[in-house]
Amino acid sequence: MADQPLLTADDVHLSFGETRALQGASLHVYGGEVLALMGPSGSGKSTLLHCLAGILTPESGSIRYGDRDMATMSDSDRSTLRRGEFGFVFQFGQLVPELTCQENVALPLRLAGAGRREAHRQAASWLDRLEVPDVAAKRPGQVSGGQGQRVAVARALVTRPKVIFADEPTGALDSLNGELVMKLFIAAAKETGAAVVLVTHEPRVAAYSDREAVVRDGRVREQEPAR
Amino acid sequence: MIRGPRRWLFELGLGARMSVAGGRAGWFRLGLIAIGVGLGVAVLLGAATVPAAIAASNARTDARAIDNFDEDVVKGDDTLLVSRTGTTFGDYAFSGEMLQAEGSRPPLPPGVTRFPGPGEMVVSPELDRLMREPGNALLRERWDAEVIGVIGDEGLSGPAELFFYLGTDTLSAEDGDPRIEGFGDATIEQDVVPIFVLLTLVGMVVLLIPVMVFMASAVRFGDQSRDRRLAALRLVGADAAMTRRIAAGETLAGAVVGLLIGGLLWVGEILLANRYGTGALSFYLSDLRPVPLLVAVIVVGVPVVAVLVTLSAMRRVVVEPLGVTRMSVTVRRRLWWRLILPLVGLGLLWPLYQGIDGRSDYEAQVVAGMAFLLVGISLLLPWLVEAVVRRLGGGSPAWELAVRRLQFDSGTAVRSVSGIAVSVAGVLAMQGIVTGIESLYNGSGSASAVRYGMEILPGTDLPERTWTAALDSTPGVLEYQTVRMVRAGDDATLRIGSCPVLQQFARLGECRDGDVFALDGAAPGATYTLGESGSSWTSPATTRVVDSKSDVPASGATVLVTPSAISGVAVKPDNTYFYVALDPGAPQAVEHLRNTAVGLDLQAYVFSYANSTVRDALAGMRDALLVGSIALLFLIGASMIVNVAEQLRERRKVLAVLVAFGTRRRTLSGSVLYQVAIPVALGMILAVSVGTLLATILMVAVDAPLTVDWFGIGTTSAIAAIVVLGTTAAGLPALWRLTRPGNLRSE
Repeated sequence: MADQPLLTADDVHLSFGETRALQGASLHVYGGEVLALMGPSGSGKSTLLHCLAGILTPESGSIRYGDRDMATMSDSDRSTLRRGEFGFVFQFGQLVPELTCQENVALPLRLAGAGRREAHRQAASWLDRLEVPDVAAKRPGQVSGGQGQRVAVARALVTRPKVIFADEPTGALDSLNGELVMKLFIAAAKETGAAVVLVTHEPRVAAYSDREAVVRDGRVREQEPAR
Repeated sequence: MIRGPRRWLFELGLGARMSVAGGRAGWFRLGLIAIGVGLGVAVLLGAATVPAAIAASNARTDARAIDNFDEDVVKGDDTLLVSRTGTTFGDYAFSGEMLQAEGSRPPLPPGVTRFPGPGEMVVSPELDRLMREPGNALLRERWDAEVIGVIGDEGLSGPAELFFYLGTDTLSAEDGDPRIEGFGDATIEQDVVPIFVLLTLVGMVVLLIPVMVFMASAVRFGDQSRDRRLAALRLVGADAAMTRRIAAGETLAGAVVGLLIGGLLWVGEILLANRYGTGALSFYLSDLRPVPLLVAVIVVGVPVVAVLVTLSAMRRVVVEPLGVTRMSVTVRRRLWWRLILPLVGLGLLWPLYQGIDGRSDYEAQVVAGMAFLLVGISLLLPWLVEAVVRRLGGGSPAWELAVRRLQFDSGTAVRSVSGIAVSVAGVLAMQGIVTGIESLYNGSGSASAVRYGMEILPGTDLPERTWTAALDSTPGVLEYQTVRMVRAGDDATLRIGSCPVLQQFARLGECRDGDVFALDGAAPGATYTLGESGSSWTSPATTRVVDSKSDVPASGATVLVTPSAISGVAVKPDNTYFYVALDPGAPQAVEHLRNTAVGLDLQAYVFSYANSTVRDALAGMRDALLVGSIALLFLIGASMIVNVAEQLRERRKVLAVLVAFGTRRRTLSGSVLYQVAIPVALGMILAVSVGTLLATILMVAVDAPLTVDWFGIGTTSAIAAIVVLGTTAAGLPALWRLTRPGNLRSE
């Protein structure tokens, strides 16, 4: 694990109307580590993840990616960052329903400017790696929840991002499928050297992490040292 | 617990309440449905009013009809001689009857309280108004008669009719002027030109079918958000049948408001028709009452059809407590049954290829054929879009996202485009036929192509020198020539005149006095027996065969003869026509000439090669059609905006994820553009093909020269492009709003 943090949140504040979602949250994410953000519902963990990913902009405080302050980056620059260096996995996969699974996985590469043939070759390789090669030509509506989530993981990994943000990645799966997805996900992330920021409230999912941080009332209350 | 019909009523009412419960969005959706249905209802009510209005108008013209062919009427104290007459002033065409009492008790025409004696006339209110206008002095001078009264409503086809009765003492039964003892006792065959019947029928179909298609898609506006509301109701215990009734209630609310809007629009229509109707196409307000049976069919039928459309659309949707599933993707569209209607339409229209002249039984066939063909477009288009997008691949991410989206579900996009396609095909068909007819009128007989722009066809046997003397003293007459028409046997005509005036009829090339020209089947060296004189004349071997300048088919062979070529033969012309060149710098010259002609001979017919009345009417028809279709296209554009906005809302999760991945807005905007443009482009291709085919059939039917209406194709394509760009641009704010990164939070 690198000495310098890859991502740093420092005293981040963010409100939605009257609701104070983050009230001085601070956090470090190191390259290659798997960090679990835990906490009760409404604690602000997903909001913190979205701030770290540059999807939301804090009202105060800073989010630094390497030596860049994300608060001062334009929307376009943050989009470029998300396209090239970040990957995402959501609770329900959120695959594009009209694209085939292979096209879904290839999409981030295509958005980054890769050619169709090369993007599809890499997508097929990742589907294979995540043990769902047979769903390549199927649409998301035609595959099971577990298969769909593995496709979503493949989509997050295909650009070989530096950081993967995963928001309750197994929240919609049964425990067996959840275990399988997490195993494949973490193994693949480790293989590519990507850091993983994992929002979950399930201890068995958090068990796949190298480190846990607990979010309560919009603040990071506890951070376990790196294992 | 309420059961049975009361429960159904409750559920329908719940649906109606839900249709406006969604706040602004709900009202907007209801408004769009109501406007869509309202426009349709207004057009339907208008169509239901036309037969009654025409019947009322015809009843009045029948009441003043004159039987020209009853030779049994004996001269008496109550008989009169009549003769039809007419003239033109500027763009106005007038018709009238010359009346000459033969006794002390002549019958009065309907709406006339005092019989006009010689030098007196009774005019319609609109003609009276025109005659009183300060700038129309030449019109007042046209008839050397004093206006002694105004024709009442019961004697006119409508308030704007330009009609008059002119008292005279120049008629004579011996000269063939009809004698009558009353008005309205003849069974008049309405002498309507088949082309204009065809135009009217085509116009009605062209206007009605797209509106029907639009109405059908209007009642499905916002059905996705409605289905989500229904899913919420399923969650609290509504069963599938209840959801259908609630959905029917939502649609009924829109349809009923649409009926009211349609009623209001119809009131506006009849007020406009009453105010701006011109000539024979003007109606009194009392005429404009729709046929009650048709009104009942509309009032009951529109809501019922709206509900049926809704229920039919819901067959492919499963509304479950946890959400909505669409089954559209599992059903591959079949072509064979979609071809039935257009093929039947083509089959019905095909006999028109023989032409419509002399036929009287084609109306129903044309209406059915056009309707089937146009409705067929809305059936073929979904198949065409599916078949084409299935084969589309590769391309930029924006293209790929759009194509895949259309492959996944093209139904919503196609529904809106159907209206555009049907409308454009109809417009092209109509434009095609109008252009064809226009080209008949714009042929080489147009003013720019002829030296003598006016032609006078005398109606009585005045000496030639009377005419020439009058023409000499008519202001604005630069030059005139006479052409003597002589019947030559049963099927040929000799036109005897100088070279300059004969150039009017054919492409003569070089012409000298003594030359003879044959056209329309006439042959050099043929011998003819000339008219009443019975003398014989043989066209010389040097006669040149030339091409006619007229696009109108000739009724027989024509021989153009310069005076020296027939100088030794006794000729008594059957008619002498005058060809007059007017000073282009004297705009009133034509009215002076008409005054001269009417002053000499009330039955003379003055024909203008530059007469633009028909062309103007056709151009007006084209313009009206174009304006109507532009309005319809923009309305369809509005419905497409609603569809785009709704689709974006439904896909906000996916959009949020795409944005999280860093997808550029440019990519998403491009995807929206392609999703709108691809179905529209395919719709236009289908519409242009079917429209041009229809236009071709109709042009052949009316014997018009075949032309491709590039103007119509260009205009409608440009409007379609504007609709695509406008729809995309209007959808972008919703796209920006939905793709703000912060929206991901709600996912």
